[in-house]
Amino acid sequence: MELTRSEITESAVQQKTMGQRFGEVVLGRTVRLVLLLVFAIGVLLPIFYMGTTSLKEPIEIRETGAILPSRDLFIENWFRAYRNVPLYRYLFNSTVTAVVSTAIALLIAVPVTYAIVRFQVGGKILPAWILGTYVMPPIVVSLPIFAMLRTVKLTDTLVGLILVHSMANLPVAVWLLDSFIRAIPRELEEAAWVDGYSRFDTLRRVVVPLIRSGLVATGIICLILSWNEFLFALILTYSDASHTFPIGISRYEGEHGLQFGEMAAGALTGIIPIYIVVLLFQRYLVEGLTHGGVKG
Amino acid sequence: MKAFVERHSPQLMALPTFIVLIFFSLIPFVYVISLSLTDSTLARPFNDFIWFSNYKRAFTDEIFGASVINTLLFAFVVTSVQTLLGFVLALAFRGERKLGGVLRTLALLPLFTPPVAVAMIWRLIYDPTSGLINHYLLQWGVLDRAVGFLGSPTFAMPAIMIADIWQWTPFCFILSLAALQSLPTEPYEAAAVDGASAWQVFRRLTLPMITPSIIVIFLFRFLIALKVFDLVFILTYGGPGSVTQVVSFYIYKIGFTQFKSGYAATLSILVLILISIIATFMTVGRDLILKKQSS
Repeated sequence: MELTRSEITESAVQQKTMGQRFGEVVLGRTVRLVLLLVFAIGVLLPIFYMGTTSLKEPIEIRETGAILPSRDLFIENWFRAYRNVPLYRYLFNSTVTAVVSTAIALLIAVPVTYAIVRFQVGGKILPAWILGTYVMPPIVVSLPIFAMLRTVKLTDTLVGLILVHSMANLPVAVWLLDSFIRAIPRELEEAAWVDGYSRFDTLRRVVVPLIRSGLVATGIICLILSWNEFLFALILTYSDASHTFPIGISRYEGEHGLQFGEMAAGALTGIIPIYIVVLLFQRYLVEGLTHGGVKG
Repeated sequence: MKAFVERHSPQLMALPTFIVLIFFSLIPFVYVISLSLTDSTLARPFNDFIWFSNYKRAFTDEIFGASVINTLLFAFVVTSVQTLLGFVLALAFRGERKLGGVLRTLALLPLFTPPVAVAMIWRLIYDPTSGLINHYLLQWGVLDRAVGFLGSPTFAMPAIMIADIWQWTPFCFILSLAALQSLPTEPYEAAAVDGASAWQVFRRLTLPMITPSIIVIFLFRFLIALKVFDLVFILTYGGPGSVTQVVSFYIYKIGFTQFKSGYAATLSILVLILISIIATFMTVGRDLILKKQSS
């Protein structure tokens, strides 16, 4: 904790001096404001457009792509989105899958990361193997995973999807937690050992409380990754019993092609909760991404 | 018992992960290798042992060849654009606490939007009759006829790339910003005392100090970009023809829509080998660059 605080003050000092000296000269404030504006519009316009489309009548959508609706707002899309596709069910499935798979991933990832960082378990091979499973495209293991789950009758069940999501999130969790655990001063743990704590107790009572913000960051990132996951959900689920939200929004194809209005409404109901979580926990998310991200 | 647990606790801590790796990595790997030597279908796995026939077929499979090239091209273009844009933005806002913070908050939104939703948003934007781009380009007279971007051999690939750039530039921006803000201050103070120009400071200080981080960001993003699947699935389904066919999607199509699991396994192995080679080359290349720089 002390470490991060001193890092923060240090970077604040840097920002001041560098901002004054170098930044101001190369790019004036106006240029930066223009950049900010372009970036903000670029990021927000597609999301905003989705919002306005969800309020346009299907006939209007078929005729024009203007950003703002020209007729009365058409709220009906939001009801149809739920009537034509069992989206409630999908959102429920996604929530259960994301929460349980994240819990499992963290439970497995914390001890192994600690063992790797502190005791070099598995030498160089174990960390490389874990990272390797993240770098490989999931499609290359999808056939055997499908076959294994089918053998134990877990295809098209939430349990099966939860298992697969936990394993898919495991390398991400290890990778994110690594730098948080690395930042703990070794002396604290050694003091705990001297006090007679076993290694498991040290992990539970000393290490875990110290990486709380890392756990929050990792947990939220895993939650969102599971919520967003498409490929395994596509392959392993084939009925409403286990379809998740991403499958749901790909299902608004009607007789007249894709029903953009309903799709936009349906997609937004699944995106808005994520945005709320992202905004509430943004400090943790940025910390998680940058802590793990820039190290070599 | 207690002594045993204490002595082997590091190994015990790694045990669950080890089991996961065996079930979700080692067994699948062996399974895919053996499957690739057979003429299997999804309903009848390990049907006929046919040695390397699938591999021979893969090397003459033009669509697979195209999908490999498309995937590499896609990953290279999007990663270059994202790394560059992200770095320029970070450079512009490194000294601005407030604006930089606002930008970083905005940046989190595309990054965490479900890729399927991103694809849907852009499918709407590109649509010839309902889409934003055609509407305004027609209105402003840039186009005289609506263009189906996603159905066009020229525009389909760039269209997918733009959607990806929208989603991932924020990632490169956030990481570049953090990297810039963690640079040491002393060299900058010394440079200011010496009266160095802004360009000199950038060229001689910032660039050399930031290069290692930028390389890491580029490599990481490149390897992840090779996994592209969702965008292609929703936006173009690999078409028109095989213009936007990428490896993940092609394997999916062969294995899960044509049910030829033996051949899909073969393609999986080839992709695994290819990505391992790329990853090895890239890490070796990075080490060479860093070595050259430090000497």
